[in-house]
Amino acid sequence: MPLHEAHYQHWDGAHTGIWARRGVIAQNTLLACLRTKSLRMVLVSCWLSALLMAAFLFFLGQLLVPDSIVTTWVMQMNANLQSFFGMFTAWLEGHPEISVRTTQNVLFYFYGVYLMPLSIFALGMVLPAFVTRDLASSAIVIYSSKAVTRFDYFLGKFSAAFAVMAMTWLGPVCAAWLVGNLLAPKWNFFWHARIALIHVLIFGLSSMVILCLLALGVSAFSSREKATPAFWFIWWVLGLAIQPIALHTLPWLRHVAFGYNLRQIALEIFNMGQDLKTAQESIPIFGDMLGKIRPETRAALEDPTFFGALAGLAMMLAVAVYILKKRVRPE
Amino acid sequence: MTTAPVIETEGLSKIFGQQRALDNVSLKVSPGSIGLLGPNGAGKTTFMKCLLQLQPISSGNARLLGREVGREGREIRKRVGYAPEQNCHIPGMAGCEYVTYCGQLSGLPFQAARQRAHEMLDFVGMSQERYRKIETYSTGMKQRLKLAQAIVHDPEIVFLDEPTNGLDPKGQAQILELVQSLWRAYGITVVLSSHLLHDVERVCEQIIIIARGRVLVHDSLENLKARKRGAAEVVLARGHAELQAACRSQNWLCDMLPNGHLRVEHRADSLNPLLTLMHGLHLPPLEIIPSPNALEETFVQALEISHAPA
Repeated sequence: MPLHEAHYQHWDGAHTGIWARRGVIAQNTLLACLRTKSLRMVLVSCWLSALLMAAFLFFLGQLLVPDSIVTTWVMQMNANLQSFFGMFTAWLEGHPEISVRTTQNVLFYFYGVYLMPLSIFALGMVLPAFVTRDLASSAIVIYSSKAVTRFDYFLGKFSAAFAVMAMTWLGPVCAAWLVGNLLAPKWNFFWHARIALIHVLIFGLSSMVILCLLALGVSAFSSREKATPAFWFIWWVLGLAIQPIALHTLPWLRHVAFGYNLRQIALEIFNMGQDLKTAQESIPIFGDMLGKIRPETRAALEDPTFFGALAGLAMMLAVAVYILKKRVRPE
Repeated sequence: MTTAPVIETEGLSKIFGQQRALDNVSLKVSPGSIGLLGPNGAGKTTFMKCLLQLQPISSGNARLLGREVGREGREIRKRVGYAPEQNCHIPGMAGCEYVTYCGQLSGLPFQAARQRAHEMLDFVGMSQERYRKIETYSTGMKQRLKLAQAIVHDPEIVFLDEPTNGLDPKGQAQILELVQSLWRAYGITVVLSSHLLHDVERVCEQIIIIARGRVLVHDSLENLKARKRGAAEVVLARGHAELQAACRSQNWLCDMLPNGHLRVEHRADSLNPLLTLMHGLHLPPLEIIPSPNALEETFVQALEISHAPA
């Protein structure tokens, strides 16, 4: 009996567009990433942190509501804290256009910057799913023989990396902003807090593009599944370790760390120095607290090395793109 | 059915460093089942990859299905299937998922891709194993899967690179039967690359023999088989000198080979004149080995060229 007893049928339907095919690559890669247990755990942690952030914003908003549980609770605190919260509440009531903007800008700077490492960790864990596995299994030949180009392949993989970061970073940050302001006592919080959201989006989207390209470059660096995450984490940790040493020896060396460069960009975008000055002028007790910050930290907050960071990241991106172009070939 | 050439190349060359993998290949190939025959390293795979744009062309130009290679990559590959020689499966996927995914990459909507994936897996003879992870497949299953992914989007032409590699004789026969049916029953042009004369002879109607990146011959199987030099190797127990003298009187070349056999160039389509002559001389042959046809001869020539020092 011939094997092809099941007859071959011709197909004459309409083909999907190129964006659909790119989407298929992204979807497939994202599903492969989500099969990684550690990514799922990071996802849960990130969204839990978003809940906490929203709860904190709710707490701040409740300070404006007389007789709320939060206000009652604050009244039971020690004199210093009562004084701080009293001034803070007065500031929120008196100048919401400045206070809400400044408070949320500072809060979302810290939330964004401190949530980023979790996202970088998640990206490191799923690096092999981007390009490494396709190089190892020669699946890259299959992609090249289908109706997609190398650019379509990159775009699909990039979108998957972007989605991972969106789920573990920008998504929770934006959700925290949205829920936090939804729970605020006045609707005008949305308007006053818009700058914080714009800063989050500018910093988040630009950093995600940079990190995703770097991740793809590292993913294409080797065809060994254990090598690429190892390289990613070593680069990251070395960067963290170098920063305090390089500060007093070779300051430019700090720019080999992508985390440091991204933080400088965050400082520039969120304009933290200005916000701290505003807070210091508006709440005297807060000003005393800020006065205790070390001068070098204060200088770093007020005058980030923005152009050095941009140059460092540009060089990293150039290397990543070169690796991708060199390595992602059919054979 | 259209008879316009499916493959057209003009002065196609591919150079890797110092080595010319393809050397000025000019061809016009009509639809059908095409055998790309040649020893290992002859340039068969490179030729296919250049047509599919998996390798950039060094010089010359090529057209596939009437479209310029190098300009309309996506459009060409939408209508082309390719089963590479090496394994190139995506780890972690089940067979049916993989074929569906390949269909989607070729532009099929998800529903159609899934339906066709199952049809193609039926067609290549895979049953429940399609739901298993590809990593657990045997070589034979992987070869079938490669074939299924190459035809899932209903291509007009399919390139199969050594599809019987690593298979036992039964598996080889099954795969060749499937490949044969693609053109004969369903009108899909097949380009089968192989270093096995037997495989190509069994499946293909047109033959292209390549050696050291050059095309030695491109003709139909029928013509190549019919084309014989009109020579034979004669094994005799006695009377070698008599036969040599008789051949000379007929103006035929007759040489003694190192193995003691006589090689007679009788220049006839059949062995009858030679047999008549021997009958007249009362020389019964122990054995007569007819000369190989042009297909075998050119293939042997290709092997010799590839083994000769560069």
